[in-house]
Amino acid sequence: MYRPILCMDDFLVIDHVSKTFGAQRAVDDVSLTVAQGEAFSLLGPSGCGKTTLLRMIAGFERPDSGRILVGGQDITALPPELRPVNTVFQNYALFPHLSVWDNIAFGLRMSRRPREEIRSGVDRMLELVRLSEHARKRPTQLSGGQRQRVAIARALVNRPQVLLLDEPLAALDLKLRQHMLMELNAIHEQVGTTFIYVTHDQGEAMSLSDRIAVMNAGKVEQVDSPEHLYEAPRTSFVASFIGDANFFTGVAVELQHEGYVRVLVDGLGSPLVLSNGAVSANQTLRLMVRPEKISLTLTRPPSGERVNAFRGVVEDMAYFGSHTRYRIRAGEHSILAQMQRSRFSGGDIDPARGAEVWMSFHPDEGRVVRLEGAA
Amino acid sequence: MSNESRPARQWLLTLPSLTWLAVFFVIPAILVIITAFRPADLQGGVGPGWTLATLREVQDPAYLPILWRTLWLSGATTLICLALALPVVFQMARVGQRMRQVLLLLIVIPFLSNFLIRIFAWKSLLHPEGPLTKLLIVLHLIPENAVLLNHVGTVLLVLVYTQLPFAILPLYAAAEKFDFGLLDAARDLGAGPWRAFSKVFIPGVRRGLISASVMVFVCCLGQYVIPQMVGGTSDEMLGSKIAQRVFSDRNLPHASALAGGLMLAVLVPMLIVVLWQQFGRKEAE
Amino acid sequence: MKRSWLPAIITFGVILFLFAPLVVLVVNSFNASRFGGEWEGFTWNWYIKLWSAGEVWESLWITLKIALSASLAAMVLGTLAAYALHRFRSWLQNVHHMLITLPLVMPDILMGMSLLALFVLTGVETGLLTIWIAHVTFCLSFVTMVVLGRLQDFDFTLLDAARDLGATQAKAVKKVLLPLLLPGVLAGGLLAFTLSIDDYVITFFVSGPGTTTLPLRVASMMKTSRSLPMINALSTLLIASTFLFAALSSRLQRRV
Repeated sequence: MYRPILCMDDFLVIDHVSKTFGAQRAVDDVSLTVAQGEAFSLLGPSGCGKTTLLRMIAGFERPDSGRILVGGQDITALPPELRPVNTVFQNYALFPHLSVWDNIAFGLRMSRRPREEIRSGVDRMLELVRLSEHARKRPTQLSGGQRQRVAIARALVNRPQVLLLDEPLAALDLKLRQHMLMELNAIHEQVGTTFIYVTHDQGEAMSLSDRIAVMNAGKVEQVDSPEHLYEAPRTSFVASFIGDANFFTGVAVELQHEGYVRVLVDGLGSPLVLSNGAVSANQTLRLMVRPEKISLTLTRPPSGERVNAFRGVVEDMAYFGSHTRYRIRAGEHSILAQMQRSRFSGGDIDPARGAEVWMSFHPDEGRVVRLEGAA
Repeated sequence: MSNESRPARQWLLTLPSLTWLAVFFVIPAILVIITAFRPADLQGGVGPGWTLATLREVQDPAYLPILWRTLWLSGATTLICLALALPVVFQMARVGQRMRQVLLLLIVIPFLSNFLIRIFAWKSLLHPEGPLTKLLIVLHLIPENAVLLNHVGTVLLVLVYTQLPFAILPLYAAAEKFDFGLLDAARDLGAGPWRAFSKVFIPGVRRGLISASVMVFVCCLGQYVIPQMVGGTSDEMLGSKIAQRVFSDRNLPHASALAGGLMLAVLVPMLIVVLWQQFGRKEAE
Repeated sequence: MKRSWLPAIITFGVILFLFAPLVVLVVNSFNASRFGGEWEGFTWNWYIKLWSAGEVWESLWITLKIALSASLAAMVLGTLAAYALHRFRSWLQNVHHMLITLPLVMPDILMGMSLLALFVLTGVETGLLTIWIAHVTFCLSFVTMVVLGRLQDFDFTLLDAARDLGATQAKAVKKVLLPLLLPGVLAGGLLAFTLSIDDYVITFFVSGPGTTTLPLRVASMMKTSRSLPMINALSTLLIASTFLFAALSSRLQRRV
């Protein structure tokens, strides 16, 4: 198996799909496209509509409006059994009365494939997930990681055009999760099928997918690569859901060329940041800086146009081994900063509680973000 | 699945059992109450027209001692069954999985053997020439000429014997879900074993306690085979009278009046309990 | 923590209390003495007499016929009822649930009496059919409760999984739901079967000429002292088959 070189960019199309349960709009006019062979994640907190969207792609829920297309075919009205889509369920939903082998063969038997094809298909899948010696066991006799691999094999053996994975790692303990993460990436690499993950764990989404759709309250806030989502979040929801962020509210005082804007923030002076789209003078803005982008020094950093610097007092700190986190008070603001010890430029003494420090960040590390829902 | 919410499906799945119970449970219950207002005919059936005569007949003060006996026998049986069942389920819930299965089986097996045969067994055990009577006489616990059968105490004993599993099983279901760490916590906080049992375990299995009491009490109210077989002539219960009116006197309306009264006395509190439990079922979701 | 021995002692006493009368029956069935007061030597005599008592075997046959057909009907009705109760939440199911629960706590004599009233007023001749109807009625609730318990443990995502893998709704029920529910349905059926075989009171009310089930036969045998030792022998056989049944059903319960 190989990864197709010719990709259809809109292989899976979600076209203005909405779904309402009672008074609640679970999925609100969502449009997305996923390329063939892509590993794509739907990321969001519980109740954001990602699971409902997944269930609509699988066919367990019917959208109130909108269309879903796979490879150009409209599948919106098809029942789940007729869709070229298979699912890895959150708790795997392995049939307890069937052996591992029979679980994997279930789909092929339902589509009445010839015996020989079923046998070779199942054996090939068992090899792919390295469970050949467990073929005769019942699912209850397997470990969590093994069950997960059976669930993947059971779905993949049907050669689905899209594989849906509902919180695939949630039921595993931390160590196994790290391992299965690698495994999932390897399997995806090998089979080249389009993978759609649903997860609430940003770390999982970032390390599993080519692109991520961040969902909030039934809507898609941003669709981007993991790097872009982290470095250039467009909304404050995305910024705070993926990683940690400091937010400040201020007024645009000076628009500069190349997309920079100077923002007057009460108590912090007027830092220069990336405008991240069109802004106008005197507009109230929200800006965001990641904690690890803030440098802490005991002395004032060399001043200049390209550095934003301001003073604060260390309120609290926590040591994490690889880094240390600081909570710093500056006027009304409580700012989170994260430092690797070696990068601390003020010498080898850590700032203690109560110490006065300088915080500074490069204009490229600060960004204007929009409020959630304004996407 | 979304298509399961279609009302047609629900009706299709519900109708068979619902119809069956409506025709063979609800309608007959209503018929019993209606029959109480019909005159009797001599063939043991129901005559034409309507009458209140039967209602006047069943107000006979001769029924009062029977009613009283029925109530106190049922109440005493319930109390004794609970007193025996509570320590048993407490023990069952504390032992290991295998031992628990064995105990459960030991309690269920006698309960599954035929009801009449269990009464018959007591009859032969308590028979004047039976082993128990002889043993007790040898031990000088009862006088030489004592008769253990045909006594209201015998009725109570056999009632307890037949109803005990009805008390143990619902209590066991409740005790199985009880968190025994709570008992250790109570002991840790200074409660003695008895106080831990009475203040923590008993409230913890309250629901099971209620269903066990209702089960046992209600089942006892309708008994007639036990007083008939092991009791004396003066140990009749309400059920004995109903059976006697049906089979000896062949007076269906009179029997219906008695049964209808008993039914209302049973069903009205039951309905309240069921509604209360359904409310609880909704609350738990 | 020190544990009290009292519950263990009471449990032991209760089990002794439950088994003592049955042990006496079994012992007496091999006792040459007619009244079983004293051991007068071992005998197979009562079993031989029982073997040639044709009317007992005829009653057994009637009982088995009723028990088998009534528990089958109760299994079908009860499984549908349990599925509806589990899958739907509505006023209809509230009423349904109440109707299923009430027969469980209805005293036997009232159920017998009300069915008798129904059959007398509608002019239905009492006999095999009326006994069968009565037995289905009281077995239905028990089967429903057992199957409902099973359904509560059933993971309905399995049905979604089957659909996802290409099974139609009907196929998913047949290939996944039914096989997984079967042990529960059988356990419910087994309970219904035992209850049906055991029932005396309700059957007594709705039986007619020529429909003497085994419990009715035992009741009439108890009236003549000549046949009392035969009851011991019959009881022993019944208790033995109960043991066999209990073993069988606990094996069914243990299967996943």
